Amino acid sequence: MNKAAFRGLFLVILGGALVFRTAGLGLRPMHHDEANQAVKFGALLEKGEYRYDREDHHGPSLYYLTLPLAKAAGRHTLASLDETVLRLVPAIFGAATLLILLLFLKGAGAGAVLASGIFLAVSPAAVYYSRFYIQETILLFFIAAFLASVWRYALNPSWGWAAAVGLCAGMMYATKETSVIAFGAAAGGLIIALMSGRKGGEVGGGHGRFRVWHFLLALASALAVTGLLFSSFFSHPNGVLDSILSFRVYIARGSEAGWHRYPWYHYLSLLAFSRFGASAPWWSEGVILFFALIGGIAAFGRGRHDEPGPSFPRFVLFYTIFSTAVYSLIPYKTPWNLVPFHFGIILLAGTGTARVLRAFRSNAFKAAVLMVIAAFVIHLGVQTYRANFKDFADPRNPYVYAQTGVDFMRLIKRVDDLAAVHPDHKEMLIEVVAGSYETWPLPWYLRGFAKVGYWQDADRAETPSAAAVVISSMDQEEKLQGRLGEGFHSEYYGLRPEVVLALHVRNDLWERYITEKAGK
Amino acid sequence: MDKKTAVCLALALIVAGVPARSQDQSKVELKLQLPKPMFIGTPRNIRTPNLEAVTGKARGPFYVPAGTKLVSLNKPVTASDTAPVIGETSFVTDGEKSGEDGYFVEFGPGKQWVQIDLKEPYALWAILIWHYHSQARVYRDVVVQVSDDKDFVGGVTTVYNSDHDNTSGLGIGRDKEYIETNEGRLIDPKGVRARYVRLTSGGNTSNDMNHYVEVEVYGVPVK
Repeated sequence: MNKAAFRGLFLVILGGALVFRTAGLGLRPMHHDEANQAVKFGALLEKGEYRYDREDHHGPSLYYLTLPLAKAAGRHTLASLDETVLRLVPAIFGAATLLILLLFLKGAGAGAVLASGIFLAVSPAAVYYSRFYIQETILLFFIAAFLASVWRYALNPSWGWAAAVGLCAGMMYATKETSVIAFGAAAGGLIIALMSGRKGGEVGGGHGRFRVWHFLLALASALAVTGLLFSSFFSHPNGVLDSILSFRVYIARGSEAGWHRYPWYHYLSLLAFSRFGASAPWWSEGVILFFALIGGIAAFGRGRHDEPGPSFPRFVLFYTIFSTAVYSLIPYKTPWNLVPFHFGIILLAGTGTARVLRAFRSNAFKAAVLMVIAAFVIHLGVQTYRANFKDFADPRNPYVYAQTGVDFMRLIKRVDDLAAVHPDHKEMLIEVVAGSYETWPLPWYLRGFAKVGYWQDADRAETPSAAAVVISSMDQEEKLQGRLGEGFHSEYYGLRPEVVLALHVRNDLWERYITEKAGK
Repeated sequence: MDKKTAVCLALALIVAGVPARSQDQSKVELKLQLPKPMFIGTPRNIRTPNLEAVTGKARGPFYVPAGTKLVSLNKPVTASDTAPVIGETSFVTDGEKSGEDGYFVEFGPGKQWVQIDLKEPYALWAILIWHYHSQARVYRDVVVQVSDDKDFVGGVTTVYNSDHDNTSGLGIGRDKEYIETNEGRLIDPKGVRARYVRLTSGGNTSNDMNHYVEVEVYGVPVK
């Protein structure tokens, strides 16, 4: 394949990845976790405040990386933010991960890079979580950049790649605690690739050699990035220590798992085949798994050009095996946690696809195989469309997890409509009486209201009967009804499957709303 | 004055001050410190059926005239959506009330109705509805009407209406919304005479679709 054709195809794939990741970012209601991140980012945006929270939030990179984009979009307050601005951050990093693939050209080859690019561009899992305002896709980008830097350094050691390894490692750690899994998996993969690589000649055609000061440079780069971000740029030095102490929290959470406990094969079965109910559509990224399997088997064959040096397929294969194994063995599982090892599967699938195509000498056979692969890619694209633009909140979509339902948006619209007829408009008093799991994402959607109070127990709520609107979880209803009396009109709205919220509207406001609505 | 009392007083002042603020320009707004939401991790993902009622208490006894019997079993059912997404329209009166898959009929999104033809007029004393009770959800704009006119043009009596803002265009209702449970929703038609029963709904809190596991109509033949 000539360079012009490669560039053209790569740009088309990159364009497709961008469209899938950035179109209609406001469609899906904010997930509980997204709203948490968004409100925390709001404090950084409005007051410049950020404190690492080792209990309920991951690393600082997501918030600091959102800051320039939000400011460029002219947003300076939480209320002025919207879903599109926030989700653009992971969407851009998700698409940019394709650019990292170019660093694997030496080792993987153009065919494998293009195939991996296509799979990454259209994979439903990769796209769905690229549109999610959480840390996973940022982590994916830095893992990809870290693997590429490690690989390029292994091919031709230099201070530049050493510094890149350190910077990426620092950003990974500053993104999510689970980055340590990728560190271990990448180290294991590299050791095996180096030990099993063909001896003789110049490694990767380069002239560099490993130096101790390269290692020290990488370490210093990683520590500098980590220190800067976790200490909130030296304003909160304890954040660095907290980032280490957080492992106690996450080890306990990972082993206890609670209601996020799933069997070891959960992630692989989710990718291979999912169907919830006889009438529900089925989902599968089986074609990616199939080609990854071929890529894995081919890793034990001869190298692409039989070059001396470490074997790229073995580096990727063992990174993928180690990271998949660790994530699978941790009882705590949420579907977005598959993103880091799913990237390894996609790299392997790319090498597997290239290997299959090279196995056919006849152009007619190659064309036939390409058509079959194209059909599978189209099927992946259809699933991605369904997952992100049609069934984005449907619990039968395997990538959906504890997702806020579309009915919740009707509650928000009702509250907005009520505020429009209330004399104080957005300053009307709203009381939320619900446990933490039933409260979110209300703080995000009520961010434009000036007077909103949150209580977890109806007995502690301050004079709820004085509020214009009270939103409550069902477990608080009985106690709350006793305090509200007869002066409220009640409706129900779905927050998530099985989770219903009650909306209580003071009778005078309800009557005004109905009267104005009837008059329109 | 302790802190709680002070906050209470402040809240009362601010609320009391809302209507008066425009009248008294000398007053300034008291800034209210309301509690912030607590941050917390990922909530539980629920994809499997759960028969547990959210607030359900066992329904007490319901009294009807002697001779009242189930008059809807296996009676013909028609629907606004003639091609159900899942199941058959006949499921509405087939006597099967299980909450599992295979026992409910799913109609399209938005406003939809089903209509039961009792084949002859009855004095109706109870209507029991199960929309979908394997998950805690609320059906919107539930309106139950009865009539002797199969087209529901004349002689229509509305016996239940939870459409509080007239979304369905059948009038504003005052009946409460309710969470589906395996007990079903019991409606008291108070002996109204009718041959046809029409049930309307407009989606639910989990999705926009309309479901029926079973509808039971109890009555006494009209001589």
